[in-house]
Amino acid sequence: MALGMMQTGDLPRLAQPTIVAVAVVYFAIVAAIGVWATRRTKTASDFFVAGEGIGLAALTLAAMSATLSGFAFIGGPGLVYAAGLGAMFLILPASVTSSMTSWALAKRMRLLGEVRGLITVPDAIGARYRSPAAQGLSAVAILIAVIGYMATNILALGLVIRAIFGTDLTLAVWIGMAIVLGYSVAGGILAGVYTDVFQGSLMAVASVLVFVYTLKVGGGMAGISTTILENDAAFMGPFGKMGAVAALSLFFVFGVGSMGQPHVIHKFYMLRDPRKLKWYPLLVTAALLVTMLLYFGVGVAVKALVAGGQMQPLATADDATPLFLLRYTPVLLAGLVFSGVAAAIMSTVNSFMNIGAAAITHDLPVAFGRRVGNELLWGRISTVVISVAAAFLALLPGALVAFLGIFGWGLFASTLVPALAIGLNWEGATKEGAVASIGTGLVITLAFETLAYFNAYRFPTGVTVSGLSLVLSILVFFAVSWMTRERAAAQLDGDVKLVMSV
Amino acid sequence: MARRNSLLALFAGTLACAAAYASAFLPGDPPSWSPWALGIGTAVVMVSASALGAARADTGIGRLKLPFAIVFLIVAGGLAAALSMPAPDAADPALFLGLPAGAAVVLLGIGLLPLLVLPIAYALTFEEMTLSEADLARVREAARAWQAAQRAPAAHSAASPAPEPAEVVA
Repeated sequence: MALGMMQTGDLPRLAQPTIVAVAVVYFAIVAAIGVWATRRTKTASDFFVAGEGIGLAALTLAAMSATLSGFAFIGGPGLVYAAGLGAMFLILPASVTSSMTSWALAKRMRLLGEVRGLITVPDAIGARYRSPAAQGLSAVAILIAVIGYMATNILALGLVIRAIFGTDLTLAVWIGMAIVLGYSVAGGILAGVYTDVFQGSLMAVASVLVFVYTLKVGGGMAGISTTILENDAAFMGPFGKMGAVAALSLFFVFGVGSMGQPHVIHKFYMLRDPRKLKWYPLLVTAALLVTMLLYFGVGVAVKALVAGGQMQPLATADDATPLFLLRYTPVLLAGLVFSGVAAAIMSTVNSFMNIGAAAITHDLPVAFGRRVGNELLWGRISTVVISVAAAFLALLPGALVAFLGIFGWGLFASTLVPALAIGLNWEGATKEGAVASIGTGLVITLAFETLAYFNAYRFPTGVTVSGLSLVLSILVFFAVSWMTRERAAAQLDGDVKLVMSV
Repeated sequence: MARRNSLLALFAGTLACAAAYASAFLPGDPPSWSPWALGIGTAVVMVSASALGAARADTGIGRLKLPFAIVFLIVAGGLAAALSMPAPDAADPALFLGLPAGAAVVLLGIGLLPLLVLPIAYALTFEEMTLSEADLARVREAARAWQAAQRAPAAHSAASPAPEPAEVVA
């Protein structure tokens, strides 16, 4: 499960000395980790897969941090406040997804990485199907989604920095960009992983503390429920105000689609010892659930405060977290959470920078039968190029930036779940099926999201482009693989077959 | 057999989700079975994807049958309960752990209970079902053979298939 949606609306001004001080200390620690990692980044393997040398705790916190963007702290609680408990279906699959992804992908990705020395997610697709075309097409899908996602994340970071420091938005976007770029270009994913360890810990601690305050302010869970039920009973229904199909569509997209998020599954390559995967699902699921307490707690507590007349109705739903923190928690905790929001966004951006740079430097040249001479140098250059492009996109009009961010999750899911999560577990899958499913995901997602953006077509209530494209790409994968099944055995190398069989 | 069954279940679950989405395009309100198909279909896809990844050629899903069945019952049963329950009543706010019954089923059942089953089953069966020392040794032997083949480009160009496991594993 991941929270790809992003903050694109304005935040209340938070410029208070304590909050600014906490943020400055936070950024200084991130910079120090970046310097440390830079000294250890000497090869392309260090840059893209942390030299395949991280431990279980680092993998857990890095995967958790990459999964959660700032949406978990700002947009998510706002969505709960606005839509009721139906918004919880976006995070409910977390209790299953890490185990599911571990069985379907973690071991096979890690072992395939060891056998073939793979460094990117499209590498695994190329090796599985012995197909540069499938590898290249998946890299194109990743690159498109990464740039869109990065633009919205960078805008979100700019909004947080502006709220904390009171700067102009353009300056705030470039400051945020420069900070992430600084440690990402120099230290690569190694810097990203170890800043994620720090950031993930911060996010988890802040979330638990805020949840305690929500219970205290709302009079416990029973007090919150009773207050809301008296004023707006539908909010507390199992699907809230969203309707069952809309809520279950979130459950499908964020449940099944979690197996296709490259910024998370890419991290399996980095684990030093594959036997350490044993405890990965338990640790990462627990970390995710703890960190998402804020998502639920603030959403329902603010709703109860508004329903009980202790707060004015919010001007915009995204104000739920900032206003709750500023009014009901100690300013030091508020500072920690706002730094945690920046942390969540930065760790996600770093992961996207890395896989985007790998797509340009590694996957696309491989698709055309070429190799870049110095992947470390070109990886750094590519990181700068896509980051600057994303920053310019972030400063485009708001609606367009939101549009760019919307399709990222669905594009990742529809292009990678069939070819990778199913394909690595089914010897009957073929490269024709993989190419067709990736193409289906790309075309449907981009075409229908564009039509929706221009109001040329409106989907029925509850149907999302992400859900539809994921369903169709899986069905196309099965159908085309079945039609070309006589070619399947010839497309499977012996070592890949071994990895798929253990 | 376990992989084949998992694939069939995954396909069937996806078809159920596709049917639910397709029904939304029909004129009028969505049919009453639509959310059921989407909810149960999603539960089937998630559990069958887990089983597909866990299944081994020799032993199938072995002892994991039970945890997979339990989690399917929790998720599918929880969604079915949520779809069947009446809307919460402000006049009779019976709460379970501070939540109305439907919300408790969804949040504590679907959102929490699988944490107590799947990750623990994964850990307890890891050596037996996921990665044994023997598995790792075989894979590392294959890795050495592939790397040796790469170092001898005349014999094995990058375009040529990697050696069969039978050739590289004693």
